[in-house]
Amino acid sequence: MSSSATVQNSEPAAIEKGSSLWTDAFVRLKKNKLAVLGGIIVIVILFLCFIVAPIMSMAGMKANDQDLANRFAGIGEKGVLGTDQLGRDLFMRVLEGGQISLLVAFLATMMTVTIGVIYGGVAGYIGGRIGNIMMRIVDGLLAMPFLIIVILFREIITGRIDIVARFLVNEWSWDNDTVTRFANLIPLTIAIAGFGWLSMARIVRSSAASLSKQEFVEAARSLGLSHRRILFRHMLPNMLGPVIIYATLTIPSFILYEATLSFIGLGIEPPNSSWGKLIMEGANFLETNVIVLAIPAVMFSLTLFAFNFLGDGLRDALDPKASKD
Amino acid sequence: MFRNLLFPALASLAFVSCENRSDVEIANEENILIIGNSNEPKGLDPHLVSGVLESNIIRALFEGLCVEDPAKDSTSLPGAALTWAPSDDFTEWIFNLNPEAKWSDGVPVTAVDFVFSYKRLLSPDPNWPAEYSEMLYFLKNGEAYNRSHFGHILCGNDPDFPLDWETLKKANFEGERSLKLENFVGKKFSDLKEIDLKKLKPYLKEDETIDLAKITAEKVDLKNLSETEKRIFCNAKGIDKLSKEQLQSLKSDSSLVTWTDVVPEEVRQIVLDRLIAHHEAGKPNLWEEAQVGVTAVDDFTLKITLRGPVPFLPEITKHYTWYPVPKHIVLRYGKINTAFSSQWTRPGNLVSNGPFKLKTWRTNHFLEVEKNPHYWDRDQVDLNGIRYLPIKNYYTETRMFGDGQLHMTYTVPSELIPMAKKKYPDQLRQEPYVGVRFIRVNTRKEPLNNPNFRRALATSIDQKAICEKILLGGQKPASGIVPPFGEYKVPGLIQFDPEKARALLKESGYSTDSKFSEIKLLTTNSESGLREAEALQEMWKQQLGIKVRIVQREWTTYLQKQYDADYDLCVAGWIGDYLDPTTFLEMWVADGGNNNTGWGSKEFENLLTKAENTADVAARMDVLSQAEKTILADTPVLPIYWYTTNYLIRPEVKNWNPLLLNNHPFKFVKIEK
Repeated sequence: MSSSATVQNSEPAAIEKGSSLWTDAFVRLKKNKLAVLGGIIVIVILFLCFIVAPIMSMAGMKANDQDLANRFAGIGEKGVLGTDQLGRDLFMRVLEGGQISLLVAFLATMMTVTIGVIYGGVAGYIGGRIGNIMMRIVDGLLAMPFLIIVILFREIITGRIDIVARFLVNEWSWDNDTVTRFANLIPLTIAIAGFGWLSMARIVRSSAASLSKQEFVEAARSLGLSHRRILFRHMLPNMLGPVIIYATLTIPSFILYEATLSFIGLGIEPPNSSWGKLIMEGANFLETNVIVLAIPAVMFSLTLFAFNFLGDGLRDALDPKASKD
Repeated sequence: MFRNLLFPALASLAFVSCENRSDVEIANEENILIIGNSNEPKGLDPHLVSGVLESNIIRALFEGLCVEDPAKDSTSLPGAALTWAPSDDFTEWIFNLNPEAKWSDGVPVTAVDFVFSYKRLLSPDPNWPAEYSEMLYFLKNGEAYNRSHFGHILCGNDPDFPLDWETLKKANFEGERSLKLENFVGKKFSDLKEIDLKKLKPYLKEDETIDLAKITAEKVDLKNLSETEKRIFCNAKGIDKLSKEQLQSLKSDSSLVTWTDVVPEEVRQIVLDRLIAHHEAGKPNLWEEAQVGVTAVDDFTLKITLRGPVPFLPEITKHYTWYPVPKHIVLRYGKINTAFSSQWTRPGNLVSNGPFKLKTWRTNHFLEVEKNPHYWDRDQVDLNGIRYLPIKNYYTETRMFGDGQLHMTYTVPSELIPMAKKKYPDQLRQEPYVGVRFIRVNTRKEPLNNPNFRRALATSIDQKAICEKILLGGQKPASGIVPPFGEYKVPGLIQFDPEKARALLKESGYSTDSKFSEIKLLTTNSESGLREAEALQEMWKQQLGIKVRIVQREWTTYLQKQYDADYDLCVAGWIGDYLDPTTFLEMWVADGGNNNTGWGSKEFENLLTKAENTADVAARMDVLSQAEKTILADTPVLPIYWYTTNYLIRPEVKNWNPLLLNNHPFKFVKIEK
């Protein structure tokens, strides 16, 4: 009796507010100090590259203006961080290089996610022979050497991009330097994404294959929903965890790809810079003017670390079971 | 007991102290010179290599007719030849060989070896991979033999031929240069681009189409072709390259190939008959028929007949393409033109006539040569040996020099020059080198076909800033193509002058306002190449407002693009092979293999021919200087700077003096202890 009385007397228990997967994940993420630090670094770098740099550029600090009389000016002597081997403002070059590197990485990741999710999702959902064939195609493409595919893509695309760029400059009188700079980025992005979606498709397929056998999908199917609706409304939200984690981890690897391509001279067109290119150029001055190498290298590694920490943190937060500890 | 213990202890101490000495100190004691040599040599066959690093080794192993003076340019000392004398007009030279000169196995070096060597380098076999056969084109008929100019050999050399060769030469023997059948392989006529169609236009009737597959097939039977196809095929190939069957069907209608009008039909038939007879005979001893201008009068007398007066022939014989190879050894390990598969250059097999002979060659470790005991001038040779290290990375090389592992480096990269100046002020050498850095201009393209536009580009290059701010190696701004040396008067027409450049640009009518940058500057993917290109790009943008894009390609693609004329502007370099302006000027004749600019000038070619027939040295230099002026006035090339060599050398190496060609003779080098 008494127990029932207490129940009656007490305030009706507040229905515990259901917390979604995402809020839970965010709480867990906030507890991970390294991931938070990574996130902050990413935001700071994005702020520098995409807000500070354009403002400074508009204020007249051009990244490509040479001053041969002031080569290798030290920190504070000229510009914020001194000048490089052709007397160009190092600070501006690093930031504008960051723009290219990060843009390539983000755009390529977006393309990777889109293509990879659709292709892998369909392959996993359909399964059977067709799914098998689709994945063997991916295996076949993966077996091809990365560089050869990239060179091929670049050669095919560059000429076409030039036609568009010429039109924009000559007919719509856009600024030639800006157009060529960003026109350059497109073949690079497509080339990287053209290779990158393959691994994404594999990951999505494996989780789609296991989801498609689960009860809620069976239920949806028995309700007579269309395949598209099942795939994108019911399965996709459940696959997002691994997709987001993988996407965060691909960003640094794509920055690395861009750097690799620039390092061997297949990247962005001079005189524009990217981090990989700046590091390649700076490596020649390792013994004489180490700062030219150090600054882009520090920015580059910092970004890689930050994205990796963030990615690790997201994995732990979204998929606690997969976490090692 | 005690003594027994003490001895090994002392011995091990001695060993330890030995270890602490640097490589150079040990080498000094053994009298061995250690040189950084950039990369593994492609081979040691003097006929098959073309690089500087190979020439460094070959110069120690072999010896030409004359030897470079260790301290003076344009001076020749006796080598394999003791004395030499030209005829009055410098077209015939007699070299009296040194009877003491021996191969490193003791066999005497004879005139037969020289004839054999020149025959070998000029081999007309299309699979013979020699890259430098042109160096022997100085010999009379050398080019005709090397390039299988059957027409010239069979008709031009015949004094009784009914028509003189100068007239006959204008017929299409060589094939039309602009019409390359390889460009059409695998293409369909309907898919041809404008640029390719233009080349075919002169042969096509209106709205006529042809089957490209037929004329690019491996074996073409003229009978199956249409009239137009026959005409295109025969003119693209030229009479010299046609097969026996094709020549036979040409006999029925000789007009399918372009002849000059003064060649009457009977003479055409004779030419065709001779060629067919030659093919039927299975190409017997083409060397004899060609009468190439080199003969062994006796064992120790070599007679060289040249295509024109060459007063500087002794200079040329110092180039490694003119070195002899041992006939008895080459034939022991293969045929006369067995190339890289031949074993004759392997250590143990290689026999050479120079001051040194090959000792060891360990791939990617080192290559070592030792004193040749059979060398005729062995008392002069001071070194016991030379060790060449293939160090690809120049930074590593500079560091190794600092650590006492090298007597001499191959080069010092421009990035390290400021450091080297500070750290090794007495060891850094910066010496002039006969070479020029320039930009090729594709004169077939708009707006580069306008000489004023080209001149504007040339005069807006701040050459001094490039030399002094970027390169730092003591390079000199180039006012022309030929670097200054000897008695040659540099015309000095190109100077940095932005005012004039802007005026010239205005004259050319090229408008720069807000246009998409179409002009592309081709360069290699090297770091220094990129810096230079970026500087040029900025100069043109600042001085003229012309926006140029940079295209970087890896070395072989870069060369191919130039060869195919698939570029607008292209940064390139040229190093002289011998000390005479012709090594820089001859490449700009209209059909020169290294011209690639589409530029050509009758006036220029006439001046070159005039110089070739001028025996007087001073007058000849004047004519050549005038020839250079005609190029510079038209500016199909934009000179940037004249090269220097930059390297580090230890003070104990003596008798290593600045030489313009950088061909230092090793026999005089000494290590001072």
